[in-house]
Amino acid sequence: MPRLVIDEREIEVPEGTKVIDAAEMLGIVIPRFCYHEALGSIGACRMCAVKFLQGPFKGVQMSCMIDARDGMVVSTTDEEAVQFRKRVIELLMKNHPLDCPVCDEGGQCLLQDETVSSGHGVRLFPGPKRTYRDQYLGPYIKHEMNRCIHCYRCSRFYQEFCGYRDLGPLQIGDRMYFGRFSDGALESPFSGNLVDICPTGVYTDKTARFKLRRWDLERAPSLCNQCSLGCATVANGHYRGVMRVEARFDSEVNGYFICDAGRFGFSYSNGGEGRRERPLGPKMAGAPASGPIALAGAREALENIAAKYGPEAIGAVGSDRNSLESQCMLALVCKTRGWLGPVFFSDPVVRRKTLAAVEALDGELAVSMREIAEADFVLVAGADPLNEAPMAALALRQAARKHAPVVVIDPRSIRLPFDFEHFPASPEEIEKYLGTLLRMAVEKDVAGLGKEGEEFFRATGFENFEPPAEMARLSELLGSSKRPVILCGTDVSVETTPAFAAECARLLRISGKQAGLFYLLPGAGSFGAALLSETAEKTFGSLIEDIENGVVRALVVAESDPFHFYPDRDRLERALSKLELLVAIDYFPSETVRRASIFYPASTIFETGSTYINQEGRVQFAQPVHRGGAPIRGGQHPPRVYSGLVPGGDHLPAWKVLWQIAGMAEEIAGGHGDISPQNFIPAALPAFDGLGAERGYPVDGPRLFAAKPGFRGKGGSAGGIGGERGEDPESFDLLMVEWMFGTSEFSAWSDSLDAALCAPYMSMNSRDAARAGLRDGDRVSVELDGGTFEIEVCVSDRTAGGVLVVPRHQALDWQKMKDFPVRVSAEKIRKI
Amino acid sequence: MEFDYPRVLFKNRKPDRVATLEEYRESGGYEALQKFVGGRVSPKEVIRLVSESGLLGRGGAGFPAGMKWSSVPDSSPFPRYLVANADEMEPGTFKDRVLMHVDPHCIIEGMVLAAYSFSASKGFFFVRPSYESSAHILERELEIARKAGFLGHRILGTDFSFDIVVHRSGGRYICGEASALLNAIMGKRPNPVKPPPYPTEKGLWEKPTVVNNVETLANIPHILRNGPEWFKGLSATGHGAGTKLYAISGRVSRPGAVELPIGTRFSEIIDEHCGGMAPGARFKACLPGGASTRFMTGEHYDIPMDFEDLKKIGNRLGTAAIMVFDHNTCLLGATLNLMEFFARESCGWCTPCREGLPYMLELLRRIENGEGREEYIPNLRILCKQVWNSYCALAPGAAEPVISLLDFFEDEVRQHISEKGCPFHAKAGH
Repeated sequence: MPRLVIDEREIEVPEGTKVIDAAEMLGIVIPRFCYHEALGSIGACRMCAVKFLQGPFKGVQMSCMIDARDGMVVSTTDEEAVQFRKRVIELLMKNHPLDCPVCDEGGQCLLQDETVSSGHGVRLFPGPKRTYRDQYLGPYIKHEMNRCIHCYRCSRFYQEFCGYRDLGPLQIGDRMYFGRFSDGALESPFSGNLVDICPTGVYTDKTARFKLRRWDLERAPSLCNQCSLGCATVANGHYRGVMRVEARFDSEVNGYFICDAGRFGFSYSNGGEGRRERPLGPKMAGAPASGPIALAGAREALENIAAKYGPEAIGAVGSDRNSLESQCMLALVCKTRGWLGPVFFSDPVVRRKTLAAVEALDGELAVSMREIAEADFVLVAGADPLNEAPMAALALRQAARKHAPVVVIDPRSIRLPFDFEHFPASPEEIEKYLGTLLRMAVEKDVAGLGKEGEEFFRATGFENFEPPAEMARLSELLGSSKRPVILCGTDVSVETTPAFAAECARLLRISGKQAGLFYLLPGAGSFGAALLSETAEKTFGSLIEDIENGVVRALVVAESDPFHFYPDRDRLERALSKLELLVAIDYFPSETVRRASIFYPASTIFETGSTYINQEGRVQFAQPVHRGGAPIRGGQHPPRVYSGLVPGGDHLPAWKVLWQIAGMAEEIAGGHGDISPQNFIPAALPAFDGLGAERGYPVDGPRLFAAKPGFRGKGGSAGGIGGERGEDPESFDLLMVEWMFGTSEFSAWSDSLDAALCAPYMSMNSRDAARAGLRDGDRVSVELDGGTFEIEVCVSDRTAGGVLVVPRHQALDWQKMKDFPVRVSAEKIRKI
Repeated sequence: MEFDYPRVLFKNRKPDRVATLEEYRESGGYEALQKFVGGRVSPKEVIRLVSESGLLGRGGAGFPAGMKWSSVPDSSPFPRYLVANADEMEPGTFKDRVLMHVDPHCIIEGMVLAAYSFSASKGFFFVRPSYESSAHILERELEIARKAGFLGHRILGTDFSFDIVVHRSGGRYICGEASALLNAIMGKRPNPVKPPPYPTEKGLWEKPTVVNNVETLANIPHILRNGPEWFKGLSATGHGAGTKLYAISGRVSRPGAVELPIGTRFSEIIDEHCGGMAPGARFKACLPGGASTRFMTGEHYDIPMDFEDLKKIGNRLGTAAIMVFDHNTCLLGATLNLMEFFARESCGWCTPCREGLPYMLELLRRIENGEGREEYIPNLRILCKQVWNSYCALAPGAAEPVISLLDFFEDEVRQHISEKGCPFHAKAGH
């Protein structure tokens, strides 16, 4: 632990700390451009010069390049260093245009700040400024090369950190250019981070261009709720709309960055044109109604149903986009009012998989994304990180950069921005590959594994399985690893896989490794939904039956759209039309909302404080950013009516609407006044004790674990699986999967993501394609029980045999299947 | 004109063609290879002899060659690489090109021996595009050496194998910097990389790599054949070692590359080996070691041209490329010309070099064009000092002619400002 003196203050820092970081620990921020904690030091900008007075280095040196050592005496205010830094700024400003008044970076520009702090105010350089031609970089990033100060952050982030190669440095000297070989959309789905990481305005957010000035924004720490990772964001509100989303630093979860879906997928909250217009006004029987009338009307209608058919004739439906507050309120309403539910899941298998994952995580096994980045071996089982949880792919890349082998066992032709080993296994075979690899890795230590280990070994003896040749080498690497992580998905895997993955991780633990476990769950609210549905086993599928049988007469649907996820649209439509009452609470202009007899607008995550538990059990809180209301845009002015009300300001958090329409005011909060989540979240489940206090969470969130360490003894599919395909070898399993863009509800209702969409395709491997008489690029119609959909074929031999992989894409009319799993025989796929 | 000085590297110099393998062998070529590699003499012995000879790197920095080889740790991994640096892009420097056209086998034998000293198995001959003729010669002669058993698999029937490929680079001044050169070979941007790790520990593809100048390598066979004492004895001074290729250009009667004992006096080089100054020209100043050294005035006309002696007067021998300027040459114009080169050739990595050199260029150009202002002079002085805090040695080198111009010829620069134009322009009548 070296001790050094910086600006006459002594500090002891860990070995290997750079002087620039040591100074920061003392609260001294040394100016910098190229240095970034996530990217490391390169010494290019020369901005962080300080003077070394004593110790192994002398004179003006770069503080980012030198490790703190014992006996160093450093001055950041020495005249020589100050003059040098001032010169660096002068040199950078020599060519930087003074377009700050019209630059979107203005007000949050590091170059602006450092220029002011350096004292450089008068241009001494007599020559002209350098100019460049800008490039078209796609729909999200605006390129303005004249502003570039050549700090290399963009290319290092883009190439080294993310693993994409289409943006980088070109040319030399002062003609250096950061861009692409030629104009074109950036290929990286993390390209939005260029906006954050560029210290000046070379890359700016096109979606927010010329709409705002930084100092006018209402900013608050928020969360991304588009997948289960729960990345930290800063949302920027203005004119009653969200203008821009930026990444917020979270050391454990997303680090400094977020993906493009999370960054640009916010426009649903402002609403779009036509069918995408956000429903901001309450409605009764299709006609606008005032807030209080709609709430009272819904309450009365529900009371009538309960009186007529009993309270269990009212079904309560939530989803994985509910906040924990809404989920707890749904659970509480069902408990006190006797409504049926709450129903959070559509498919019972998905519910059980999610629950199995949640129950398997304990404090020992659960790892964060930061810990994935530090893993020395990663096994990905039944997960497509880039599509299901993009930032997890970036965490995996950081591990791979440090030479950790990454092995993916998945039926899809997975793409990741680094080299990895892929075993294209069908969902039924995933456990076989995973178990065998693990067996081979720890076999020689089996004696020391105890009774549980032996049991595991008995259970994982997969017969008739000839492991692929590469497995021997990989199992050796896994065997010699110290911090392996298993990343397990819950979408395409079979029901037993999440629990099996947990047993595998535990086995690695007993064999002496710091093994970790990381699940990807279906959505941002899945963790809470799984815990709350532990006893209420209803899923939406069985609810439909109840409606058809006349048991359920009314539905309250909170932030959920069955039209998005239910596989049989015809049946759904018939069932909903049988209902006597459909109450919808949502912020999306969904089909459910359109059909609702009573609709109440819900607040988005940006308008209400909300809690989410991410897939690793981390409880996080998103602060409200703005109060919402009809956004002011395109030269429109709000109605010139003097009123205390905000136009479009009727929206309420979904839980508050539920509280009112269920008549819960009497039960909670003493029947009058307002209510706070603190009042009801802890009551919903003993595990939630202490949650709900808005500001009570630590920065990295408390962790919530349902499980206790130790073997569960229910070794996944133990014995029960053998990788057997179904009865008909001539037919295919239809796997419906997630894509990063185009399959989520957020993507369906955010016009800002339209530009990122690409046409859906169905992937299959070449043997299967030959069997069905198809070739790459063919357009086919696939016949399902309820009709057909048309799609392009993509042949890839990295797709497992016997499966057809199809995205649940918004451009694809896929909801024509009776129920999962769906099998399609070859003659049902016709070339068109 | 005949002079009594040793001919080592230029022994086989022919007026019109490249020396053949036979001619090289007749002059004792490949004897050292046979003795040391063929005789399986310990590589340590090779390093010891070269270290003892006092051979300093001829690429410009003057780092002891033996020490560089011995800094490859014994325990370091294989394969190990040797790179011959023939990027030679320092303005005024052309000795390596002449050497490659005189006696290529001398370089090839030197590379094999150098590789033997630290067990390298692959060599790269790094050539810039304008040296295509040299690359062509090298490739031809490498094949001849291979056929003769001096190169390639199992050299001279021993178990030592070493082969050389000619690497044609894109050619940039920065590629002369060893770490940038290695990046270029690996297909990356030729940005310099600061040690540690040193290339001798982690160079090409993370493996130990030694980068030597062509002239340095050419000396090796001679040292090993004749011994370190002989080599030391070649020097004109007590402290130097060997001969040196001096490349003289500018206002002398007979410019060209000559081989002379290292430490030969500047006056002797100009007056005797270059036939004196050009008719009508009076010596004004020179750059003694390429474009990134300081101007040297007549005050040191008699100085021994060796690393140490030039260091004593605050200058550098560099590549020993002597550019001679006469009393009719505008040194500001000459400096401006060099700065155009340096500003163009900056790799663009760090701010002081990428932006600072064009800054200097602009100021120099304005002064030369009669648009100069008094305050440009102190600004240039400070800039010259500040570029020392850049990432590599390119910018400090580029500042050397500028700062020495201001040190020795400030009056001339001021004259440009006060007369609003170049005083030499009128005199030269063009």
